[in-house]
This record gives sequence, structure tokens and C-alpha cells, in this order.
Amino acid sequence: MPTPDKNLRPKDISKPADILSPIATLEKLPGVYGQEGMEPDFKEIKDSWKEKYCTSLDGIVGIDTFELPKTPEEQEALVKGFLSGLEKLFTDCNKGSLEPLQLTMEYCAKCNTCSEACHIFQSSGEQEIYRPIFRTDVLRRIYKKHFSSSGKLGAFVGADIDATWEAIARLGELSYRCNLCRRCAQVCPLGLDNGMVTREIRKIFSMEMGIAPVPIHSKGTMLQLKTGSSTGLSKPAFLDTLEFIEEDIEEKTGRKIKFPIDKQGADILLFHNAGEFIAWPDNPAAFAILFDEAGLDWTLSSEIIGYDSVNYGIWYDDVQAKRVALKQMEAAKELGVKRVVMGECGHAHKAMMLTADRMTTEEKVPVESWLPIMAELVREGRFSFDPSKNNFPVTLHDPCNIVRQMGIVTPQREILQAVAPMFREMAPCGVENYCCGGGSGFAIMNSCNFSDFRNKVSSRKKWEQILNSFAAELEDPSIIKYICAPCSNCKGTIRDMLEYYKATGKFNVQYSGLVELMVNALTSMDRPFFEFLPQE
Amino acid sequence: MPKEGGGRAEYGGSYMEEVEWYKKPRQISHVGELIDMMKEMLFIKKLFEHHRSLWWASYMFHMGIYVLIVFTLLLIATVIWRQDLLVMGTTLVGMAGFSLATAGCALLLVRRALDPTLRKYTTPQEYFNILLLLAVLLTGIVSWTMVSNPFYVAAAVLTANGSAIPVFVTVHLVLLGIMFIYIPISKMSHYVGKYFSFHKVLWDNDPNFMDNEVNKKMKKDAQTPPEHSWSAPHINLPKNGEE
Repeated sequence: MPTPDKNLRPKDISKPADILSPIATLEKLPGVYGQEGMEPDFKEIKDSWKEKYCTSLDGIVGIDTFELPKTPEEQEALVKGFLSGLEKLFTDCNKGSLEPLQLTMEYCAKCNTCSEACHIFQSSGEQEIYRPIFRTDVLRRIYKKHFSSSGKLGAFVGADIDATWEAIARLGELSYRCNLCRRCAQVCPLGLDNGMVTREIRKIFSMEMGIAPVPIHSKGTMLQLKTGSSTGLSKPAFLDTLEFIEEDIEEKTGRKIKFPIDKQGADILLFHNAGEFIAWPDNPAAFAILFDEAGLDWTLSSEIIGYDSVNYGIWYDDVQAKRVALKQMEAAKELGVKRVVMGECGHAHKAMMLTADRMTTEEKVPVESWLPIMAELVREGRFSFDPSKNNFPVTLHDPCNIVRQMGIVTPQREILQAVAPMFREMAPCGVENYCCGGGSGFAIMNSCNFSDFRNKVSSRKKWEQILNSFAAELEDPSIIKYICAPCSNCKGTIRDMLEYYKATGKFNVQYSGLVELMVNALTSMDRPFFEFLPQE
Repeated sequence: MPKEGGGRAEYGGSYMEEVEWYKKPRQISHVGELIDMMKEMLFIKKLFEHHRSLWWASYMFHMGIYVLIVFTLLLIATVIWRQDLLVMGTTLVGMAGFSLATAGCALLLVRRALDPTLRKYTTPQEYFNILLLLAVLLTGIVSWTMVSNPFYVAAAVLTANGSAIPVFVTVHLVLLGIMFIYIPISKMSHYVGKYFSFHKVLWDNDPNFMDNEVNKKMKKDAQTPPEHSWSAPHINLPKNGEE
């Protein structure tokens, strides 16, 4: 097995090599998963991938639209496009990010405190290229060399990386080896943000060079702007899906619940990640059951983009992020609702409540999270729970966007205290949580061998946390172990993780959101809401 | 977010934990913010919590600088009011400041040169920065212990009697002057950058309401449309991004 070069330096990004830094020794998993044969190997890199995409960073393909330049002209055009984008990052067309970018580029003391905080760097067995300061330093050195006045002093000031096409291709790939979870920024003694710089690199590729992974761009924001949803779910299909969920609710619970659709002037417009309707219909069903039981005045929107809260733009492209967010706000305004309430989707929370908040100077419909609302309803005794219905170990994953980046920490815990008697925290938790490994688009990126990177490297810390949370019961398949992940992207990542490690089949490790746990605990439910529980 | 009030700062919570937060007055704790700032300024809290091995050297150095600032102020005071106790106190403060700053600076240099990871990322200019600081500190120690008396030099400087200052001390003072000129154009001005990175970036979570400060600033910024624009094909699509 090839081993990564521990002495790799930022300027080696241009070094000729088949694979600059192959992934070799990963951090050991705890318990039974530390044993030989419990973890699948990486897929073999196909020759066709090598010919077409950039596999020369670590053998992984993240950007499945980035075809290698074949001719000197194509190589030159790539370099030109990158440098043009890099220059623009520091101009007025990047006003919103300019200050944090400049601060990080100028003041990083390279103290390396961020490396300890990075789950990808740690999980990879401290592979140099994943160190948070590595990619920033590559960008810094290229910028200094090509654009700064001090760059004339060359290597003395660190202006020593030429913008070769291979360096650029590798840097582009490297920008998709970070979950943008901002755990590194949380610990930086100077308050700098290497995650943000990673996103800036993605912006150069997307906004200047037109290069971004298919799942987040052409089948992400572009598809969403065209059809209404990044899932491709059109309005008629959405309405059909709701009917199906209504039938399912009736079949499961005996309740006749009709989803309120396009109800003008409703108090709440509930905004779901459309992936929930397709992959986890129990989630919108649980919301409907709870909102119905609490007697809330709410609605869903069937207008374009009004039924899909996702905004992949916040991961890679400011222009796309703004287009999606403005249309989403428009849908809320047209319905005349009093407030928009975000459902279980972390990045959608951040996109609508934080990012979009600074996108327009006009009056907006206020946006809030479902978590405080539901916690208040629980506190007020609006639901009658029998927590013994959830008599199995439950652990909570804290989605980075909702918890670390927005500070919504306690409501979900308050709810869990009421419905899950065997709840235990992961370590660390709250704002110090680790990303699920699917953040910033990784959850939906599955081209070539990228899912291997997610399952084996970026999700590794989370998997380790889950295993540690259930250490006492893991190997007993008669005990259900439940991972509560109140975020669609995190849920998707955990679903794939459990499948990859065969943890559901072998050890009865289950996953879902928080509303499902609440509904399962309702005293008014005759049968368990979860299919993994005996239905008698 | 240390400015979050209502006890939320302790666990990293924010105003978004409240139902209809936009209808409620924000609970902001200026005291909490100040305490956090002081912890960071006086103790380099984040480095202490997350990178203890580097903190020792860094803290010695930064604390030494603070003590040397106090030493300088006391030195000026002795020129105006020459009192034995003050002179003795100033001498002790100076000794402590020089010891801490020089030891910290030397340790930082050694750590950076010997730690394989730090070495990879350190540019020659960054070594130069530390060496400049070390040169100022070492020439200071030699000046005040072997060449001259700081109280005498302070009086000479303040009375503009330059001819009374020995050559070696002049070298120290020139290096000190170069350092003061160089700091603002180098990353050693991170004490200023740190203010912006925390206050204007990390802790900037104020919502944008009609006609509040955030909103006014956004409106002002919007009056100057950008001169540059991005070039990818999808950026200039008609119909707001639809193909």
C-alpha cells in the first residue's frame, strides 16, 4: 500500500506524482469495528477516472465535472481562469467575504491549533494535505506570487507556488476535502477561518471557471431553480407525494390528516428539505401529526422552490445561493404567512436564517427554527408522551449548522429529556460536536469513489462517536440503538454510514430524526411509529 | 458567542433558541463580551484551551511585552518623579518583562525551527519577524545591564539629549524604532486583526431588520455596485438563474 509523504509541504502541490498523497493509515475505530475485516476497503481507482478527472491529489474524485486539460491551450486556459477568479476574490465582487478572507490570508500565525480540531485531518491519520492550514497556505502562496507587491521577494515571504494547471486541479479537489464545519475557526486563537477559505476556493471554481460537482450544481441549485427542487420533484409530483404520505399516516395511525397547502395568511410556513418527502416521508408525516395535535395554524407551499428548503449555493457559489434564497423568500411573501419555520435540515437553517438574512435590504418574512417552537410546546404540555415507548438507547447528533454555527443547543435536549429515557450525549457534543462527515455537499456527492472518502474518512469521527455512545450495548442486536439526527443531510450521511459498515443488519443501529421519536412517544399512538419496533 | 445574554454564552447558545426571537429584545451581555475579551487579551485563552504546549512560550512572550509596556511607562514616570521605591519597582518590572519576553520569544523561535509541522509552514520572513523581536530584546538586556542605565537613557531621550546616549544603546533604540515601523506592515499586527476577526466576523450575528444598523450599512453598501463581476456561464443567465 502506498504511504503518504509526512514531509509534504504546501509547495509540493505541484510535485509530479501519480497520487500526491494516497490515503493510507486511517485512525483506528473503537470496539468491534477496530477488528480486521469489519471495514470495507477503498474502491480501486479506475483508469478511466485517471484519464478524465484529477485523481492525482489523493486518488479520490470529488469534482465530477472537472475534466483534465489535454492540450497546452486547455492547460493555459485553466490557469488563466483560476488566476482571474483568485484576483476577483479580493475585489468588490466578493464584498461579503472580503474581510474574513483577508484576515485569514494575512494574519494566520500557522500555530496549527486548528489541526487538532479537524475531524478529517485526525481521521485520516494526520495526512498533511488535509491539515486545515495546508490548502489555505497553498492559496496564500499562489496569491502572493501572482498578485501581491511583497511577492517580488519570492520565497522569503512565501510567494513560492506557481499556478500550474496540476497545482490548480489538485487545489480544486482539495477544496472538496473539507466539510466547512468551522470547528477549526472555533478554536483559532486569532479567530481566523480556514473553512471559509476552502469555500472561497470552491467559489473561484464555480463562479469564475464554471466548475462544480454535478450533485450540488447542475443537479443541485440549477435543477432547483428550474423545477422547484434539487430532487427534481415538480409541483404535481410534490402534491402526489403529499397524498401518498396522508394515506400512509392514516394507515399507520388511523388519523386523517390533510396537509394544509398554500394556505394564505397562515401563521407558519413549514419549510422541509424536499429529500424528506422522497427518502424519509415519515419525517414530514411526523411534523404533520405533531402540528395537528398541537393545533398550530400552518401550511406548506406548493410554489416553485417553496417546498424545498435546501440551498446548496451556500457551499460553493454566492450567486446561486442568493438566487435560491430570494425565490424562497418570495414564496413565503406571496403566501402572506407570518413566519417561516425551518424543518429538520441544518444547512437550510443556516441558509435561510443567517446567509439569506444579509442578502436583501427589503422587508422579509421572519424565519425561525422548528426546535424552539416544539420545545415550547413540550414545555407547555401540549403533547402527552409516554417516554417508555422509546425505551432504547438514543444518542443525539448535533448538526454543525444548527448548533455550532447558529447556537441552537438546548431545545432539542429539552425535547429528548421528555421523550427518550435512555438518551445519552455523544462526546464531544453541543457546539463542540464533530460534523457527520456529509457537510458542505458530501452527503450527496457519490460520483466515482467519493462515497469512500465520506464513509471512511470524513464520517469516521462521527462513526467513532456513535460507537462510543453505544459501547455497552453495541454488540447485542436485541437492543435497538437509535441515532437521532435532526438534519436531512446528516441523516443521509448516517444512513450511508450504517449501510457501509452494515451496522443496522449486524447490530440493530437505527437512525432517524427527532420528530419521529416524539411521535413514537405520543400516548395517543396505538401502534409504534417506527417500523423497526414490533408492531403488535 | 460571548455577547449572548441570558446565560447562553456559557454553552454557545444564541438568541435563535427563542420562539419568535425577532419579536423580543435581544439579551446582550457586554460584561460577558468584555470578560471574554480580557481573557483572550490577558491569558490567550483559546491557545491555552486548545494548544497548551505552544501556549507556555506564547504566553511568556506576550505577557513579557505587556510588562515591558508597563516598564516603559514607569520609566517615564521616574524621569518626572525620581523616587527610590519607584526606581526599584521599575527595575524589577523591567527585569521581569525582559526575562519573560526574551525567554518566550526564544522558545517560540526554537519551537518553530524544531517542530517539523510548524517548520513546513514557516516562511523565512516569519523567522525574520521573531529574530527582529529577539534582537530588540537582547540588545535591550545588554544595554540596560552592561552598557548603560535605563533611567539615565530615559531622561536623555525625554530631554532630547541624544549625545548622552551610548552607541550600543542607540543601536537598541534604532532596532526598537524599526520594529515599531515594521509591525503595522507585517502579520505581527495580528493584535489589531484579532479585534476585527472576533468582533466584525465571528461575533457578528446581529439580525438584519428594517432600518437597524445592519440594514443601514447594507443599504449604504448597495449604493456602490461592484466594478468587477464573475465570469462563469451560469452567472449571467437570464431569468434569475433558470436555464
